[in-house]
Amino acid sequence: MSVKRFFIITFCFFLCSGLPVALASLGPADELKPTLNKIIDILSDSNLAGKEHKEERRAKIMAIAVKGFDFPEMAKLVLGTTWNNIDQQQQNHFEELFTKLLENTYIGKLESYSGQEVKFEEERIKGDKAKVSTVIDNNGIAIPVHYVMLQKESSWKVYDINIEGVSLVRNFREQFKSILRKEQFAGLVKVLEEKNASFSTEDIE
Amino acid sequence: MLNNFERIRVCPDILIIMRYGILFLAGFFLLASWGCAQRQPVITANAPSLEADQGQENEFDLLSDDFFSDDPSAHEPVYYDPLEPMNRVFFEFNDKLYFWVLKPVNTVYSAILPLDFRYCIGNFFTNLSAPVRMVNNLLQGKFSDAGIVLSRFLINSTLGVYGLGDPALVDFGLEAKPEDFGQTLGVWGVGEGVYLCWPIIGPSNARDSLGFAVDVYSHPVVYVNDDMMVSTAYYSENKINLLSLNPEAYEDLKKYSLDPYVSMRQVYLDYRRNKIRDKEVTQNVVDEL
Repeated sequence: MSVKRFFIITFCFFLCSGLPVALASLGPADELKPTLNKIIDILSDSNLAGKEHKEERRAKIMAIAVKGFDFPEMAKLVLGTTWNNIDQQQQNHFEELFTKLLENTYIGKLESYSGQEVKFEEERIKGDKAKVSTVIDNNGIAIPVHYVMLQKESSWKVYDINIEGVSLVRNFREQFKSILRKEQFAGLVKVLEEKNASFSTEDIE
Repeated sequence: MLNNFERIRVCPDILIIMRYGILFLAGFFLLASWGCAQRQPVITANAPSLEADQGQENEFDLLSDDFFSDDPSAHEPVYYDPLEPMNRVFFEFNDKLYFWVLKPVNTVYSAILPLDFRYCIGNFFTNLSAPVRMVNNLLQGKFSDAGIVLSRFLINSTLGVYGLGDPALVDFGLEAKPEDFGQTLGVWGVGEGVYLCWPIIGPSNARDSLGFAVDVYSHPVVYVNDDMMVSTAYYSENKINLLSLNPEAYEDLKKYSLDPYVSMRQVYLDYRRNKIRDKEVTQNVVDEL
């Protein structure tokens, strides 16, 4: 009787100790939802709308985005093997530039969408990678957007965005490859700086 | 005015030469592509074969990417673009064509025709090409989708007043199943071949160009009227209308990319591969049922 009870207690003990661990690691969609919803809230906030508030708005969005999106990983992937050939300072600088580029493109495009509702359709997990499928509404047309996520140290972060099979990271990677071939890393940095500058001047016009 | 017989007698040679010329070029590119790119793109080649989950496996091709491999050989190109210099010339041409011709035409076109009219016109064109879609769905073995295309055609032609409306989607929930011969060839295993950027028509590849040529000849409008001018006008109007419904597409591409030519190439190739891969997913699901 007492041996049986001992085993039951031990079993319950292990069950209970497992529980907090299970609760600690959320699924990818559960981690993505608050990130996207907060970004959408900022975008639909009328106090922050328009060109006058662009800096403030973008600063707020990026503060949230860096937690949910793995920008360093994306910068590394996008550069490919060249990442290993540049020094730490260049890597940091590139990461900064690329994050700014993503802000201008991805967030910039999101800003132009009306109906700012994101619907979460499904989530598929395979090992430490996952794909979360969402649908964003633009003037009645539903656009399926897939977020590809990676789990690092028990938190899920986005490292690629895929729309109808077109991957954002792969697209930039191919563009960068073409530029690197002709103009090397220095040339690429220059092109990025010019591109980012063009976004800010275009708003001043 | 010449009647049809006289017209054919008067200018037979040019048309015949053009037709054979196009077919020859297409066949040439296709054959050239067999040598270059029979292999599947790197993404699907890496998908491990888990027998348990074949249907989901292809969905995960995104995740089987070799992104995380440090092996330099894994970063080899997933496209073939040996004709890049020529393609870039045509890309520039298309760019000028867009800003000098298409954009002004579109501005006027959109001003004259209200949005709803343009949606109706779009529906009309889509409806007329239903036979092409049905045939291609059948050729890919997607019998239920072919049935849906037929249903959509019948419903939209009648309830939708000659195809101007789309009650099949709105009231019956039947989604469009767009297929073309390029996708059919892809499903049959033909490699995409070299990337081509045609003037006017835009991005394509060897296989899809052949597919496009076949689609032109399997489209009803070619059989209803022998005149090349009519077919050209039909095609142009379709494209102008499509542009008017998505006016920012090309300019956004330019705005958000550092090298628009590469960006467009990558978008096109990824998009086409995804459309062909979708077939594999649905086929596997059907097989499992």
